[in-house]
Amino acid sequence: MPSSKPSGDVRSADVELAARIGSGEAGAFEALYRQHAGRLYNLTIRMAGGSVEAEDLLQDVFLLAYRKIGSYRGDASLGTWLYRLAMNHCLDVLRSRQTRMGQVTDSMDEPDAAPVPTPAPTLTTVNRIDLERAIDALPPACRAAFLLHDVEGFGHNEVADILGVSEGTSKSQVHKARLRIRARLGTRA
Amino acid sequence: MNCHEFPLADCVDGTLSPADERAAERHLEGCPPCRALVADLRTVRAAAFTLDRRQPPADLLDRLQARLKAEPAPRSRVLAWPNTRGAWAVWLAAAATLMLSTIVGVMPLSRSARVPSTPAPNTTLEGSALVDSVEADLQAAESHYERAIQGLEQIAKTDSGELDPQVAAVLQKNLQVVDQAIDESRAALKTEPASSRAQDGLFEAMRTKVALLQQTVELINEMRKGNQAEAGRLMQDLSR
Repeated sequence: MPSSKPSGDVRSADVELAARIGSGEAGAFEALYRQHAGRLYNLTIRMAGGSVEAEDLLQDVFLLAYRKIGSYRGDASLGTWLYRLAMNHCLDVLRSRQTRMGQVTDSMDEPDAAPVPTPAPTLTTVNRIDLERAIDALPPACRAAFLLHDVEGFGHNEVADILGVSEGTSKSQVHKARLRIRARLGTRA
Repeated sequence: MNCHEFPLADCVDGTLSPADERAAERHLEGCPPCRALVADLRTVRAAAFTLDRRQPPADLLDRLQARLKAEPAPRSRVLAWPNTRGAWAVWLAAAATLMLSTIVGVMPLSRSARVPSTPAPNTTLEGSALVDSVEADLQAAESHYERAIQGLEQIAKTDSGELDPQVAAVLQKNLQVVDQAIDESRAALKTEPASSRAQDGLFEAMRTKVALLQQTVELINEMRKGNQAEAGRLMQDLSR
């Protein structure tokens, strides 16, 4: 898991890699891509809801990183910095898509849906395809927090840092996502 | 503890304190609906963590690199720090020129940059000649830095009305702190012209000011473009 509070060595290596990219050194950008493309690809697939658009998004993210590499200061790991770029870009694209389609975009501060009380667990096992579909159906901001925390394994402080929200909002969004997924999967159980 | 007080999210995440965890366990023992909910949400969480991981297509890097060929060289602020004082002067002058030409873009230099092309000071030079050489380099670098600051200040001042008043106030305060550091470094350098510490302190303070002003210009640009996400991130940086 990329850490937002990198050790001195990691930060120093990240700053050095960023400087090498900035100076146009051959192979430096490829090194950045090889370090982070795998994880970012999985994130963009689940944010975009499809692999074709995810490839475009991933390219956009790395192009943005190339253009903005000079603004990287080493106050977070390069991985976290890239995740921040990626999530901002994915959310911008999804929200603009929703606006074009006339849908209401979600906010980070919407109240949680009330859980449906049941006397026994409704989910004994979870089919991965159903789970992927339930994640696709989440509102973008909620999906972003859930993917970062529950799928990628970031802590709430890191999710908050990446998404530019408070830790409380991160917790609330992840919780809301789990409830929505449970409600959707529960109807299939 | 009743169902409304039950710390559901923290219980699922396992982040309760030992005392709260004991209280939560007591509630769960007597509340089947909460127990069922916790079990389901833990199932969702565990399943999410084991989702498939896919690799990007092998040719994606090639496609990306083809797009990169059409890109101008990235703006580089993260340059490797030089090791010698002569190299410092070259680097600072280059940095100032780079910022003027690529970031400000509207403030052409009225004369060509007097970037010293000589290597690091030769240790065989006489002491006074060495001091003169270093001072000349420093003056050239300082002059370029001041030009960068003036250009950026002009843009920031012209467009600062677009900034949130709170952010503008924080920015103003930060600039005052940096200005004070610049004044103090200049005073120290006047007392000890050959002090590398004083020289480094002055350029570090000037570099900080350029970075701060550069962020302000970036923020204004992002706000103009309507890029709220990036503007929000920059505002957070500026407000620190």
